[in-house]
Amino acid sequence: MIALAKNRNIEDRHPFWDQAEKLVKNKTGLAGLIIIAVVVLSALLAPWISPHDPIENSLYDQLKPPVFLPGGTWKNILGTDDLGRDILSRLIWGARLSLMVGVLSVGIAFMIGSLLGAVAGYFKGWIDNLIMRIMDIILAFPHILLAIVIVAYLGPGLKNAMIAIGIITIPRFARIVRASVLEEYEKDYVMASRAAGAKDLRIIFSSIFPNCLAPIIIQASLGFGSAILDAAGLSFLGLGAQPPTPEWGAMIAMGRQLILRAWWVMTLPGIAILFGVLGFNLLGDGLRDALDPRLRD
Amino acid sequence: MALLEINNLTVEFHIRGGVVTAVDNVSLAIEPGQTLGLVGESGCGKSVTASSIMGLVPSPPGVIAGGEIFFEGEDLLKYSEKQMRKIRGNMISMIFQEPMTSLNPVFPVGDQVSEVIRLHEKLDRSQARQKVIDVFKQVGIPAPETRIDDYPHQMSGGMRQRVMIAMALACSPRLMIADEPTTALDVTIQAQILELMNRLKRETGASILFITHDLGVIAEMAQQVAVMYAGKVMEAADVETIYENPKHPYTVGLLSSIPVLGRGKEKHRLETIPGVVPSLFNLPQGCRFSERCPDVFDKCRKENPEMIDLSPGHKVRCFKYA
Repeated sequence: MIALAKNRNIEDRHPFWDQAEKLVKNKTGLAGLIIIAVVVLSALLAPWISPHDPIENSLYDQLKPPVFLPGGTWKNILGTDDLGRDILSRLIWGARLSLMVGVLSVGIAFMIGSLLGAVAGYFKGWIDNLIMRIMDIILAFPHILLAIVIVAYLGPGLKNAMIAIGIITIPRFARIVRASVLEEYEKDYVMASRAAGAKDLRIIFSSIFPNCLAPIIIQASLGFGSAILDAAGLSFLGLGAQPPTPEWGAMIAMGRQLILRAWWVMTLPGIAILFGVLGFNLLGDGLRDALDPRLRD
Repeated sequence: MALLEINNLTVEFHIRGGVVTAVDNVSLAIEPGQTLGLVGESGCGKSVTASSIMGLVPSPPGVIAGGEIFFEGEDLLKYSEKQMRKIRGNMISMIFQEPMTSLNPVFPVGDQVSEVIRLHEKLDRSQARQKVIDVFKQVGIPAPETRIDDYPHQMSGGMRQRVMIAMALACSPRLMIADEPTTALDVTIQAQILELMNRLKRETGASILFITHDLGVIAEMAQQVAVMYAGKVMEAADVETIYENPKHPYTVGLLSSIPVLGRGKEKHRLETIPGVVPSLFNLPQGCRFSERCPDVFDKCRKENPEMIDLSPGHKVRCFKYA
């Protein structure tokens, strides 16, 4: 028996590292990670790496093309908009806002959605019915429409847009958490925990919930992407970030009437949104491959 | 006074399609420091009886329709949920059948045992950790100082069952309920675990309610035996009486269907009890065993037999002895 105890180095590494390794070995996951790293770094380092102030107008530099087009200069690498603001700087600062949108709206949805889903799945019965029917009602609305309604009620602005996006994302988390809790509830360790004298809330959050994390993490990553997209959509409609905030969606809205004269003003923030959302979606797929035991080889 | 005394416990499940009486007028008693073996086929109500003692019958659909469960003189069925939480894990603890699934896969085993300790005793983290190491030593886990940080998947089935026993033992309970604790283990590990439980019982003076369908295990563990069939106790006696002088045809049938080493040479066929356990939805009229009983007569099919005292401590539910 003592020999057995010594021969157990095979599994000595924490399971977290196994999954991290699996994620990095997965090409989609790695691509997602790299894109997100770029976005996160530009967001964190915005004050130091952006060449210009993102809000300052410059009357002499209006609608300068990017450096790779005729007439472009290295002073404004990705050109300027109609007020002479440097697009690269605005994109870099915009990454901050997009990440903030992702963190806050996914955070709201994660916390409220997980709580509701866990309570519904654990207690079952009428509580479950009540919560999940409300979730169904939220899901019955086209989600951007519902977000518009909520923002219209709260008043336009980036903060309210984040709250609105958070609210419309709650059902996704609630459903996933409920399904996982229903599955875990049947396991013996839940009974063992109850037989040890633990309270319901303790069983839900400290025994069951950690076992449901894998699908929630994946959902959070995918939710990040769609939150950024939704926020850009709301800002494009003028309900999110207000000028002169360098938000990607708002920048597209600003550049809309210039599309024939200066395509880059609108296109470049579009590409930024594309890559930001793509990055989180790829990461989400990679995480699913790494975390889902059914997909393990 | 008995440590645990169950009187006429009846547990019903109200489900679609009707009411199922999973436990019907069951009476049991466990003396301090003794092991009661509860024997029966799958679905005869053994585990539901255990859940009732813990106050963990899933409700709905389960309803405790009647009876009393006296633990140290107090009726547990009258306790509030809050009072029951103080009993669970502390005064009465439970060991489960599947050591593979009864530990939480995302936490180190030591944390799970120390959680139980900290639920019931005011100890800080390091004191609780020390206590876990002590309990691990007591249940024979080698190198407890390092094993305490292992995750369940890093342990073998036997080791995990030792952790489960450590968890049950952590707060020095008066009664341990072991629900088929060795069914999922292979025979050599099974012997080790049984030996361990017997040793711990001697050391701690705790009583054990040992639930199993394996009469061979009962012989090693129990002093008293109760045989259950379709929700009713059919025969109860001390372990020698059950093995040497079984009275109920069901007990006789169970005992003769145990293979005996060497008997095969004499061209004996292993005996079985014909038929299957009746569905609780559709119980036969009269004695529940009547359809499978070799000694059945008319009265058995019409009336339900009462428990009869054959001799002090030996009770049987059969018209043969009326």
